[in-house]
Amino acid sequence: MKKEIIGPSQMFAMIVLFEMGTAIVIPIGLESGHAVWLSILMALPGGVLLYLIYNDLYRQFPNLIISGYTRKILGKYIGWPLSLLYIPVLMFNGSRNLREAGDLLISASYDRTPILIINSIMIIAVMYILNKGIEVFARTAEIYFWIMMIMGLVCNGVVIMAGLVDFKNLFPLHYKDWMDALTSAYPNIWIFPFGELVCFTTVLPYLKKSGISGKMGVTAIILSGFLLCFTHAIEISVLGMDIYSRAAFPIYTTITLVNVANFIQRLDALVILTLIIGVFFKMSIYCFAATVITADLFKVKDYRRLVVPVGVIVLFTSFISAENYISHLNEGKVFLKYFLPAICAVVPILLFLVHRIRKRFGLYR
Amino acid sequence: MKTKHLSVLVLFVLLSLNLAGCWNSRELNELAIVSGIGIDRVMDTGKLRVTFQVVNPSATTTTQGASTNQSPISIYTVNDRTVFGALRRASKQATRQLFFAHAQLLVIGESLAEGGMKDVLDIFERSHELRLNTTVLVSRDTDAESILKVLLPQESVPSIGLGKKAENTSKVWGETPQVSVFETIKEITGGGGFTISGVRMLGNVEEGQKKASLEQTKAETSILISGQAVFNKGKLMNWIDGPEARGAQWILDKIYETNLNLDSGDQAKAIAVNVVFSKTKIKVEMRDGLPIFHIRINEEGNLNETQSAVNLSQNHEIRKLEAEMEKLTKKEVQEAFQAAQKAECDYFNLGNEFKRVNPAEWKKVEKDWNQIFAKGTLELQVHAFIRATGMRVTPLKAPE
Repeated sequence: MKKEIIGPSQMFAMIVLFEMGTAIVIPIGLESGHAVWLSILMALPGGVLLYLIYNDLYRQFPNLIISGYTRKILGKYIGWPLSLLYIPVLMFNGSRNLREAGDLLISASYDRTPILIINSIMIIAVMYILNKGIEVFARTAEIYFWIMMIMGLVCNGVVIMAGLVDFKNLFPLHYKDWMDALTSAYPNIWIFPFGELVCFTTVLPYLKKSGISGKMGVTAIILSGFLLCFTHAIEISVLGMDIYSRAAFPIYTTITLVNVANFIQRLDALVILTLIIGVFFKMSIYCFAATVITADLFKVKDYRRLVVPVGVIVLFTSFISAENYISHLNEGKVFLKYFLPAICAVVPILLFLVHRIRKRFGLYR
Repeated sequence: MKTKHLSVLVLFVLLSLNLAGCWNSRELNELAIVSGIGIDRVMDTGKLRVTFQVVNPSATTTTQGASTNQSPISIYTVNDRTVFGALRRASKQATRQLFFAHAQLLVIGESLAEGGMKDVLDIFERSHELRLNTTVLVSRDTDAESILKVLLPQESVPSIGLGKKAENTSKVWGETPQVSVFETIKEITGGGGFTISGVRMLGNVEEGQKKASLEQTKAETSILISGQAVFNKGKLMNWIDGPEARGAQWILDKIYETNLNLDSGDQAKAIAVNVVFSKTKIKVEMRDGLPIFHIRINEEGNLNETQSAVNLSQNHEIRKLEAEMEKLTKKEVQEAFQAAQKAECDYFNLGNEFKRVNPAEWKKVEKDWNQIFAKGTLELQVHAFIRATGMRVTPLKAPE
């Protein structure tokens, strides 16, 4: 497409960071009780399948982003308005991530700082890096991937070393737990965080070698699925189901309990760092996707010119959308139930099917 | 070009102002570090009486000798309906803003514990400053305020000293548990009964809060960890002591180390065995609507002292002592178990174990579990091993 290109390991790092983003910090799939870790594993095959659909569409149209091939497949008159719908949904979801990060920072330590200040500092960083282009962003991701992995290792390591893990909280699994796990896996965990990978349909065209997109993406998704499963299992085994389900940020509570030999303690900073890094990448990709789709739809030559407007809208949405964290969470439930599945799963699957049918019966002119 | 550079410079300076992060700044010399919190209930008003033990930094420096005549701690006592209200109201008394991230100890007054203490724990969960691994103790026969007022020898900050006391005795004597706020919340929400170490005062507060009381070899007033407070449905029900208390620790698998005085052939309680490892396994089973609790304890110990003439070089003598050890452990566990059954309160978490393994069956017995628990039978198996006898094999003997 343009001269910007992304290497395979950079892509890998971006997908993992994107998946870890907020999903590692907030409790997911509460319906499944102590079997959350199981439902993450159950949702994983669905997530991989969904990614393969995005990937297949990309392989069919290697130079186009999602709004491009939506118009190709469904025609200009259905495709254009449908693609337009992507923009607000992606921006809103990006703003939700920003809000979650801001709220954790406020409730964890900055109790008197206005959310505007915290969020705008974060969004300035996002706008800056997107202004530098996706290639710079991808290289940053490559570096931060290792930082995240090391921090994850340290955090999980000290929690285990401190002897807090109690496997009694995870087992045994009864028939009811399996059913609960399944119902929370589909569609909830399937969509969040796995379905959110729909953003990557706008990143894939920048890949250096298109051939590796499938294999590498699937590996990255499986890795992040296992990491998420492991981390949430640790959280539940430490906190127990009751506290895990009542906590706004279970990982934070887990890490505050760490005390190895009265020496290694108060590692909350690591959790906050994890969240900031994760949210930074997740939000950047959301903003990037929204920017590129807008640029594509309105025929703006250089997407970078749209980074600032999109960033500002995301910033303001992040704190105008909900008056407090509770209503933010409740909004999220509705959003996750109706809007996100439509954009992440229904539309891509529809595109996939229509494309297959049109190709089969030679309906493309 | 020049104006562009200048504007970039201005932007950088403005941005760096943000990065300093002074918005929420709190300087150390404007904070009063709270080391311990005590909460009592004022009976006639129903309000909470919250006591804060605040460290006086200049008086707690590690250099020895009386650098100042100031007491190492100050006490602020505030009445309010909520804990947070109390800690903000304390600003009327304290010169600095109270800072809670280093609180080591929470003392629950007996008066509060009797009426249920779950409400005051909320702030420990919700606040980002208060820590969940603060040690919890329940004041026994006195109020939390008095406990916090008393100065302790060796440790300049009494709250830290009490936390260490609780930890120390739970590790080497095993009669009382060291319980954190986190564990307490877990137990309360778990629904069963639970126990927390008690703390009691010998002497009177007036003497104990004076620095002068530490100027003698035996402090006028002392604070000691004493027994376990038994909570049923979040309310203090009774106290258990001695073998009952240690038996409870055994069932809960919380024995790290403890001492058993065994009988030997000719003398009672003359051989000291230090238990250094103990593991308890529990299985709950329902038979004809009544539970059977299979409790299996494996313990290992070292013989540390004998005042009776046993020939320890003989294998069968060691076997005998091991049998004696099993007998003693069994006795304590049974005593503890019977005490719990008599009180109709399952503070061994046996119900939760049953719930975890068999949630379907649990639904049927959940409602009156305590009564069902009281009718259950205990199937106890203890395996004891003596692994070492110290630096001598046979004990010393004076020729007759």
